[in-house]
Amino acid sequence: MTHEDDKTLTEALVAARQAGRACALATIVGTRGSTPRKVGARMLVDLSAGLTGTVGGGCGEAEVIDSAHRVLETGIPERVRVDLTEDFTTWSPAVCGGVMDVFVEVV
Amino acid sequence: MSTTPLELGAAEASRLLLQTSAEGGSAAVGTVVGASDGAPQHRGARMALVRHPEHGASTHGSLGDPSADAAAVERLAAALDDRRARDGIRALHVGDRQIEFYVEVRRPIRELVVVGAGHVAQPMAHMGAMLGYRVTVLDDRPDFATRERFPEADRLVRADFSDPFADVSLNERSFLLLVTRGHKYDYECLVRALRAHPLPAYIGMIGSRRRVRATYVQLLDEGIDRALLARIHAPVGLDIGAETPEEIAVSVAAELVMLDRGGTGVPLREVERVADRFFKDQDNI
Repeated sequence: MTHEDDKTLTEALVAARQAGRACALATIVGTRGSTPRKVGARMLVDLSAGLTGTVGGGCGEAEVIDSAHRVLETGIPERVRVDLTEDFTTWSPAVCGGVMDVFVEVV
Repeated sequence: MSTTPLELGAAEASRLLLQTSAEGGSAAVGTVVGASDGAPQHRGARMALVRHPEHGASTHGSLGDPSADAAAVERLAAALDDRRARDGIRALHVGDRQIEFYVEVRRPIRELVVVGAGHVAQPMAHMGAMLGYRVTVLDDRPDFATRERFPEADRLVRADFSDPFADVSLNERSFLLLVTRGHKYDYECLVRALRAHPLPAYIGMIGSRRRVRATYVQLLDEGIDRALLARIHAPVGLDIGAETPEEIAVSVAAELVMLDRGGTGVPLREVERVADRFFKDQDNI
């Protein structure tokens, strides 16, 4: 992440926090193979303001958003393993060829 | 070392990292993201170690028990001490438990100092900001180093090229690009930069082979140590055939990334040779 990405996300995090909105933060904590975003990439899921940042740009992001909803409900952080290796030959935009480990927590 | 054992949330941790790096310090934050026993009770607990140029060292947050905190601080310090440490999961041994500890490090923010506010400086300032540098643009002409021309620059400085860095402190986090309107000015700034203590991390100067050679002759005449010539990146940038100011900025930006990440500058196709390595005996790939 660049300093600017960092700044944008931090501002969104702090704003959501100050407004008292429940948000979930997803962070890529590990990757194997080729993934669209690398370790440290973060996405803030704010149910009323939308998404800030990305952990995959379509690649497996839906799974992470599902997890964010669960985490917001239970309050318990989750570790999601997103596998992007299947169906290598389908040319689907979600095929990137790697596996990523995403940590999802309430902010 | 000061300690703040209160719970450290994601937002506070994120702000701590950002602020420390902007103020010239280093910080590491560790988050518990898993444990060998699978117990979720401390998942999400955080601890930070900050080294600030003015406020010294401090720790923030807690993992819930003193022995875990001690192990965490040790891990965070090791990450800060290792220049090549990458963000990622480290194992933390606490008693017979093994905790998965995700560590993120931020170093002091780097500064790109663009000397000369002309055609190359504009796309360069833009790309520098994109890459996370704090950008300073310097010129002796007030009409050139303007906010309209450099919306992303952090600082616009009017300076005389005979003493260009009077208001800009150069240090080991400075990346200097000399692109003034005249080679004479580039040279004057170059001499100043080479005599700076500490030396900037990067000194790039635009110019043809002939120009660069003439510059080196002049530098040696002036008594600049020959070993210092190796610190100059001139002609600046990677060989991508850049012609326009924008292309030149791409070439310089690529060089900065390459040096930062330890890349080779060779096309990845030639590094990986996927077709040759995996499909050698096939007619169709």
